[in-house]
Order: sequence, then structure tokens, then C-alpha cells
Amino acid sequence: MRVGRPEPHPLTGVYALDALTGPELDRFERHLPRCPACDHEVRDFHETAARLAVAVAATPPAPFRPRVLQAVSATRQDPPLTGGRAGRPPVARWLAVAAAAAAVVAAVALGIAASATQHQLNQAQAQIHSAAAVLTAPDARLTVRATTAGGTATVVSSRSRHAMIITTAGLPALGGGRVYEVWFMAPGRIREAGLLPQPAAGRTSPLLATGLAAGDRIGLSVEPAGGTRQPTTAPILELTVPA
Amino acid sequence: MSGPDVTLRLAGQPAGEPGADLAELLRQAARGDESAFEAAYEQIARPVYGLVRRMVRDPAQAEEVAQEVLLEVWRTATRFDPSRGSAMAWVVTIAHRRAIDRIRASTAQAQREQRVGAFREAPPDSVADTVESRLDAERVRRCLGSLTSLQRESVTLAYYSGYTYPQVAALLGTALGTIKTRIRDGLIRMRDCLGVSR
Repeated sequence: MRVGRPEPHPLTGVYALDALTGPELDRFERHLPRCPACDHEVRDFHETAARLAVAVAATPPAPFRPRVLQAVSATRQDPPLTGGRAGRPPVARWLAVAAAAAAVVAAVALGIAASATQHQLNQAQAQIHSAAAVLTAPDARLTVRATTAGGTATVVSSRSRHAMIITTAGLPALGGGRVYEVWFMAPGRIREAGLLPQPAAGRTSPLLATGLAAGDRIGLSVEPAGGTRQPTTAPILELTVPA
Repeated sequence: MSGPDVTLRLAGQPAGEPGADLAELLRQAARGDESAFEAAYEQIARPVYGLVRRMVRDPAQAEEVAQEVLLEVWRTATRFDPSRGSAMAWVVTIAHRRAIDRIRASTAQAQREQRVGAFREAPPDSVADTVESRLDAERVRRCLGSLTSLQRESVTLAYYSGYTYPQVAALLGTALGTIKTRIRDGLIRMRDCLGVSR
């Protein structure tokens, strides 16, 4: 019974089953905190889904258990959230994210300034849209890290958007046509994530890379011109994507 | 012979502390208690692996994802909030999202492999090997059977195959709006049939 409550939003079901994506997902996630009836229903649906999972329970192969327990003893736990609502990141972070957002828009806008075709305009628009989706994702996380070659990399990542944006400052200039290549790195599986643009005044404009999967780490290495399929040199940066 | 870590267990015999409350185990694990996590593992590993295996299909990838999920449970046990739902729902939600991440990150391959007969095929290795999970499975099957076929197909395609709802609509040749409401109606019926409303 939900007496006196507004009818929950029709998207509660597809949301609870993770079947909602893109702008619709963004809209629904903004709506959810303001709709207690929706929140209640989504939680009920998660309980229901848990039963669907238990119904297909299967025993993993024997080596699985010791491997997991070994990994557990080697893994530090996240600190608990303290005070406030759901661990809102500090304001400074959001300012940095906003600055990164502005940089992406500016970079894309500059790139299409003159003599752009409609196709290029469409592409640029799609890129701005994807970048905005990463930057505004509820799980967007900002990481700033020094590389072992000097300089810093700034990464905004969103697991729910399977994407990240990387900019750098102060990386050593590369001679001989070499490039900085970005990688998504999972155990036993490294995928190309893109090449950093040529730096201007020591900074590279933001690179948007999609295809980020859970458990991926992000790497950066120096590679021959044009990039390679797999890293050929030791990464100068490896970072874990925050949850 | 397998290594010394492997213990033999009779089917249906609960491991760890019998009947130990999962939420309580997670609370202890959150304080760094590895043996509490090990006891929690006995309750969650099979649902996590079974769900991920069913969604991802490739056994090697399924193991990888399931391991990521269990590590995430350990890592973020500090953030589990029992007032927001059951511990099993929390764990399974993580598992489902991680499996979706994996599926959608490799969409191109996944589309090629799954386009044909993703759900008409028999489910892989869903043999429930404990009495409890066989009963659970039976109840879920019965409740799924009480849905209309459109509700059932849209719920299972979205949940077990990890499709987005537009993909479900395309597979079933049904309008987007219809799928949204069928999935919600189906889940409401399942919720009521399983008696899980909180």
C-alpha cells in the first residue's frame, strides 16, 4: 500500500535492472533523491533481483576461493563515509571538475573553429555530450597523479559511463615522433585508450576515452609515432580508478 | 589433488558459522576481520559467480568479474548500509553492475556473440547444488511462471542477459514504452510473489 504517495516513476524497473543508460539514466538519477516512492520501489526491486541471482547460483571452480581470499588479504579497505550526505566530494574537487569541463569544451570548440563540415560538427557535439556525461556522472572521480617521468596527469573517471578524461601538464617533450599512449589495464588484458594530443605550452588538451571497465587501471606510456596495440615500454603512470 | 585450502563440504551444509547473519558478517568484515569475510564468502560466492557467469558467459571472464565483485565487497564493506536494504541485495547489485560494465565495455564482441539465441538457449551451469538454493530456484521459477510471457521475457533479458531496455525492445519487437512498463509490472509481480517487499 502506498497511500498518499505519488505513483512511482515508470522507469524504476529498468533502472533497478541496470537497463537504463545515457541521458535517461542521468535524468532518473537526478529525480530519484526527490522521489521517496521511487526509491522505495527501486530497493524492493533490488531485493527481488537478489532472488533472481540466488536462483542461478553456481559453484565457482576450486582455485577461485583461495585466490579471492588471498587477494582480500592483500587489499586495503576503503575508509567509511563520515558525516554529511553520502560522501559528497569536497568543493575543490568540483571546481577542478568544472575547470576540466570548461577545458574540454574549449578544446573541442577550438578544434572545430574553422571550416568544419557538418560531420565534424556532429562529431564534436557528440564528444562534448560524452565528456559532459562523464563530468556530471554521480560517480565522477578526480585523480591527480605525478608520472615517473615528471609532470602530472589529471583524470576524471566514471565507471557508470565507462569513460574517462585525461589531461596532463609538464610531461617531458618527446622527440623522434614518439607519443604518449593511454591504456586501460586489467590483469592479462591491456587495451588502447587513445593517444595524448600534442602538448601546447606544456599541457595536453583533454582526451576522452571510452571503454573503461570495472577493475581497469589507467596507464600511460611512451610509444612510437601512431601508437601501438600493446605497450612496448614501462608505463610512466599507473593509477587505479576510484570506485 | 588440489591444494590444502580446498575443504570438502557436503551439499547443503552451510559453511562458516551456520546461519550467521550476512549483514553482521559484513559489519565485522568492514573492521578488517578476514575470517568474517570468509564466512560471508560462503554465502555470497555462489550467487555472485552464478549470476556473473550467466551474464558474461565466458568462464574465464566470469571468474575475473566475480573476483572483482568479491574484492569490491571486501573493499567497500565499510560503506554497506543495512538500513538501505539486505546485504545480499547489496552484494548482488554490485555483481550485476560489474557484469554489465564488462558486457558493455566489450559491446562489439558481445553483440556479435549474443545476438543469436541469447535467451532461447538453455542457461549455462545453473545447477543448484544445495538444497536451499534448489528451493530458491524453484520458487523463482514458479513466480516467473506467473508473469505474462512479455513480462517474463523482458525481465529475464534485461536482468540475466544484461541488455538495455531499448535492446530488449528490439529483441522482442515491442515499443520502448511498453517494455518499460512490462519490466516494472513484472518486477512488481515477482516482488509480491516472492514476498520480498520491505
